[in-house]
Amino acid sequence: MTFDPSHNPPETESEAHARRSSLSAGAARASESENVPKELHTMVSSGQIVNTLPGEAPAVHLRSDDCIEMRRLHRFFGETKAVEDISFTVQRGHVFGYIGPNGAGKTTSMRILATLDLPSYGDSFIDGLSCVNDPELVRSRLGFMPDSFGTYRDVNCREYLDFFARAYGLSGAERSRRLRWVLGFTGTEGMANKPIRGLSKGMKQRLCLGRALIHDPSVLILDEPAAGLDPRARIDLRRMIRDLACQGKTVLISSHILTELAEMCDSVGIIEQGKLLATGTVDEIQSELVAKNELTIRILERASEAAIMLESLSHVSGVVVDGELLRFEFSGGMQEQAELLTMLVGGGFLVAECMSHRKSLEDVFLQVTEGLVQ
Amino acid sequence: MSAVVPPMNSAEFAKSPTATELRLEKLDAWCEKWSDRFNPILVKETRQALKSRQFVITFSLLLFAALSWTIVGTFSLMPAIYTSPSAPRMMLGYYFALALPMLLVVPLAAYRSLEGEIDDGTLELLSITSLSPRQIILGKLASAMLQMLLYFVVLFPCISYAYTLRGVDFPTTVALLGMLVLAGVMMTIVALFFATLSQSRTGRVTMLLVVILLLFAAEWLLGLSAFGLIQYGVDRSFGFETALYYFVTPCLLCPPTAYLLFTLAAAQLTPASENRSTKIRVALLLVNASVAAWIGFGIMEQYVGMVLLFVGGAALIVLWTLASSMLVSESAVITPRVQRDLPQSFFARATLGWLAPGPETGLVFAVINMLLLAGVAVLMMYVHDRVVDSVPQLTKQMAIQFVFGCIGYLTFALLLVYGLMRGLRRKNTPRVEVGFAAMVVVAVFAALAPFAVELYANDFMTFPYSQWQATNWVWTLSRIADGKDHWGVIELFGAVGVAGVAMVLYLNPALVRPRRTATPERVIQEMEKAKLEQK
Repeated sequence: MTFDPSHNPPETESEAHARRSSLSAGAARASESENVPKELHTMVSSGQIVNTLPGEAPAVHLRSDDCIEMRRLHRFFGETKAVEDISFTVQRGHVFGYIGPNGAGKTTSMRILATLDLPSYGDSFIDGLSCVNDPELVRSRLGFMPDSFGTYRDVNCREYLDFFARAYGLSGAERSRRLRWVLGFTGTEGMANKPIRGLSKGMKQRLCLGRALIHDPSVLILDEPAAGLDPRARIDLRRMIRDLACQGKTVLISSHILTELAEMCDSVGIIEQGKLLATGTVDEIQSELVAKNELTIRILERASEAAIMLESLSHVSGVVVDGELLRFEFSGGMQEQAELLTMLVGGGFLVAECMSHRKSLEDVFLQVTEGLVQ
Repeated sequence: MSAVVPPMNSAEFAKSPTATELRLEKLDAWCEKWSDRFNPILVKETRQALKSRQFVITFSLLLFAALSWTIVGTFSLMPAIYTSPSAPRMMLGYYFALALPMLLVVPLAAYRSLEGEIDDGTLELLSITSLSPRQIILGKLASAMLQMLLYFVVLFPCISYAYTLRGVDFPTTVALLGMLVLAGVMMTIVALFFATLSQSRTGRVTMLLVVILLLFAAEWLLGLSAFGLIQYGVDRSFGFETALYYFVTPCLLCPPTAYLLFTLAAAQLTPASENRSTKIRVALLLVNASVAAWIGFGIMEQYVGMVLLFVGGAALIVLWTLASSMLVSESAVITPRVQRDLPQSFFARATLGWLAPGPETGLVFAVINMLLLAGVAVLMMYVHDRVVDSVPQLTKQMAIQFVFGCIGYLTFALLLVYGLMRGLRRKNTPRVEVGFAAMVVVAVFAALAPFAVELYANDFMTFPYSQWQATNWVWTLSRIADGKDHWGVIELFGAVGVAGVAMVLYLNPALVRPRRTATPERVIQEMEKAKLEQK
């Protein structure tokens, strides 16, 4: 299929996408951006961009709390739709996890955000500045860490960071100060005078994070930073990313290690086959996707009687009695759960324990995605 | 309260810096401060090069070769070295020792360095810094030149020694070294240009082979010239005027050619959202102007005469066939960002509009330039006729018909390429190089199709030239070169060209009425802020 700039994507696909993305809280923002007048969007025909409204400059999007925004982003490689109609926003100082199987379109959309590629349609914004129209202004605010190291031979760590500091226009005392800070923050001070080729993978990742931080960007885009790292290095990386978020930096991070992301991210986006399937906080996605929780209650006496009583309730289904334990699916909220427990205690049952089993991010990911790889 | 300073123990005493260390630290700080003024790529490349095994080996080998040749050459010239001029043989040895790193090692290292940046993904990291593609290429070039300087410094005492042996005069020595340095710089730019051309692995291997081949060819050609120069000297072999001409030629031709290659290389590294075309067009204009100046200088000074017109003309036809086919293959869509930087006032739009990117402006730019060149060529011929030597009427007619015939055919082919590429762009995203391929297809088809049809119609027997062969540019131009009159065909193609260009302009009014695009207020503020921070 070839994208025709004079037409919008097929309505049915947009509707389907909107339906799927309405799972999340972030969908509200996504649909908001879909309502942005088409004239504001830049459009790419044949790999290059045109303004859809002749004679007018595209307006600069500005919303104080949103630091990253992807607005109806599309990227086609011939027939392949690498990214298809992705819209989401990330608030300042938040860590956003970008989750998806290999070939889902994570790297492509991150590269567009990093001004390394152009969208076929749509635009992305950093601090309200267009990545398509004002890449040089975006770059000064952006630290990008790709999935490859990108290091040089015959250069030591200090020289490597010094070179990138110079490349970002830092000079004199400012450069020395940033260098010292980066070496200290990433824990590479001891390696400063060692050649890069002798570093371990973990140390190289630290160095590359340092390179992305050298010019003190407000936004960090990290593509698979934890890939191939040992548990300790992963914990260190997680700590560093949280520290950066505490300093007010906005982080967009992709990873396959979902437990890591669940712990460090304020919100996540699940992408598959170029489409954003769900966005929002992990809890929001979990509660949206998982309509029923599994509850386990330990009742010290008369468990079978309690089971009969529970089966009569509308929010409860599939009660299983296992000695003192009662397991069942519960479709109500916290209020209903509290009422249920009050009723059991009021009925004279000795309730010793109540556990709610929510699905993990991995379970949610598996439920949302279909395992399709382009 | 008086502070009591505790006495230093031995370990602390050992750690305290000595006067020399302090001086070195000061020097280091001073160098650090000064290095802020240099291109970061130059600083990085120099650090890398000085540590690299390749530099250490080349430097050591050069030193060893220079010393060895000084000893071996001197002893081989004994005892005549005291009585007769012995510099040529010594100088030849030093030349070949220096030419190897200057023409082969340094350009190849520059090629590998840039190719490595593309291959290892570091170029992408650099492209999101504040470094521009031009700065990246310039940094690589500057680093290569610095290495050349170091190699040159190694050989300088040896060359001075050879000079004292008599037999090679000062102008010859300067010409020899100037030629070597210029060739080294030019070949480095060529290598950097080729390094940016291919993105695929197969393409990179091909490019590497092409570069190695070119470097060896340059080494061989320059070696021959150096041999002649050292053996016969500047004055004795050419005379002062010709020597001046050979001095002016590289001065006129090398800088614009180098600038064109440099601009092309930088354009290859520039993202598609930015304006890659205008600077290339300016570079093409410079090449045009310098070639015209070179031909004019040659004809006015009576050194080479009409031959120069044909040589220069042929080179320009090849250049414009290549360049114009790519210019008309540019994408028609321009980012708002590029639009903002285009000329906004009426006067600027009217005069500089054809430097703006786009296939229509490319077509106009190419046709105007070719016509200007044709005008200059005809003018030069008349100047030659009046001032230097009379040109026979037949030669005049041939030359004029040939020049305008070429332009007519080229414009006709360009219009076809423009149409083809416009069709292709509807469903694809072809690179500009596809335009050149389309030009080759059009040229082959225009010549072969009528020939094949008429051959078939004539039962595969020979047949004379007819109006059916009008699009057969090979046959028509060769007949013009044979002295046949073909004004009818040339006028026909001229008319088709003018009508075609007029139609393109009519169908694309954006060219004559470019859009005004305002820069958003927020962007202006941010840019001003960035400028202030830089100050």
